[in-house]
Amino acid sequence: MLSADEAADLIEAIATRQDRAAFASLFRHFAPRIKAFIMRSGADAEAAQEVAQEALIMVWRKAASFDRTRASASTWLYTIARNKRIDLLRRSGRPAIETEDWLTVFAPEDEDADKSVLAGQTYTRVKELLGGLSADQLVVIQKAFFEDKTHTVIADELKLPLGTVKSRIRLALARLRDALEKDES
Amino acid sequence: MSRHPAPDELLLDYAAGALPEGPALAVSLHVALDPAARATVDRLNAVGGALIDREPEVAFDDGSLENVLARLDQVAVEPRREAPRPRPGFEWAPAPLLPYLKPGMDWRRILGKFDEIRLDVAGAFHRVSLLRLEPGRGLPEHKHTGYEYTVCLQGGYTDNTGSYNVGDFAVGPGSERHEPIADAGEPCIALIVVEDPIVLTGPWGRWLNPLVKRGLI
Repeated sequence: MLSADEAADLIEAIATRQDRAAFASLFRHFAPRIKAFIMRSGADAEAAQEVAQEALIMVWRKAASFDRTRASASTWLYTIARNKRIDLLRRSGRPAIETEDWLTVFAPEDEDADKSVLAGQTYTRVKELLGGLSADQLVVIQKAFFEDKTHTVIADELKLPLGTVKSRIRLALARLRDALEKDES
Repeated sequence: MSRHPAPDELLLDYAAGALPEGPALAVSLHVALDPAARATVDRLNAVGGALIDREPEVAFDDGSLENVLARLDQVAVEPRREAPRPRPGFEWAPAPLLPYLKPGMDWRRILGKFDEIRLDVAGAFHRVSLLRLEPGRGLPEHKHTGYEYTVCLQGGYTDNTGSYNVGDFAVGPGSERHEPIADAGEPCIALIVVEDPIVLTGPWGRWLNPLVKRGLI
């Protein structure tokens, strides 16, 4: 297991000295997990492996843009893998616009928040809080992330009214928000 | 926080990577302009990160790491980029819009009433456009047959659902007729993403519908 701090150290080692050993450690940890994650959306093992490899190569290219005060290593890797999935699995023939660059690199800082503490804390708490969601709430969140489906499609699949799915999403997010804001104040 | 935020379920679709490019662009501009939406998307991205961390490892081709390491010889670690800057006249454009503003793109007057820049976006959308309205001017009264997403980028506008300012987001099936009018002050600039052709409903507008359907207006 790789802690959030260790993973961040490895990305910074790539940024500062093109550290190939650091890259290999990140690859060994994240590539199989990203592959498993991508396979949940119905991709075959080969396509999922390609997404994972391309995502890790992007980590190498963009390592200097990683800022641990803005996002944890896992969160940053998630956004990269998500965009690679959009690029490669949809075969749209055009690169996804790299919104994650904007969010994690260029977005103005909130003046009153101490981001250096928050990014890591948010991540750790989100991880804990996921286990605290109700089964109903968790299933819609997981379907969105794992199966790459919009809330409209999820409602259809679960044979639930759209309003019910929307309210489950809102409740789940409200729980995350409340718990995190309590931590932050 | 804006008075008209994007709904949470749409932010979830965005963070999960499930939105087509048009609505994803609309949400990204809202997120760029609204700190509360940004905080929500940050949390949702952290959910994505946590879900990856909880994944069990699956078998990974042993040769893969060697292949990737060999490829890295050809791949440079890129220096941290400077924040991109909009070109003159487009200072109102949030960063996620800049890759869509190709050199030479400029405002085009439509029906003598408003200005438009059509954007090149993948997917079956009727229209992904920037619209610019002078203060007090309105869009022709219309209704929608599909979803419409709107993000206000400069100035403000008012319709029967409320007043919208910079960063505000509107989404709806919009089957009701509406007639947005730009507020006083700066010209109003907004991104609109329209899934299906709009239907003009004013006394003269109805005659123009065949042209709208063919994408001529």
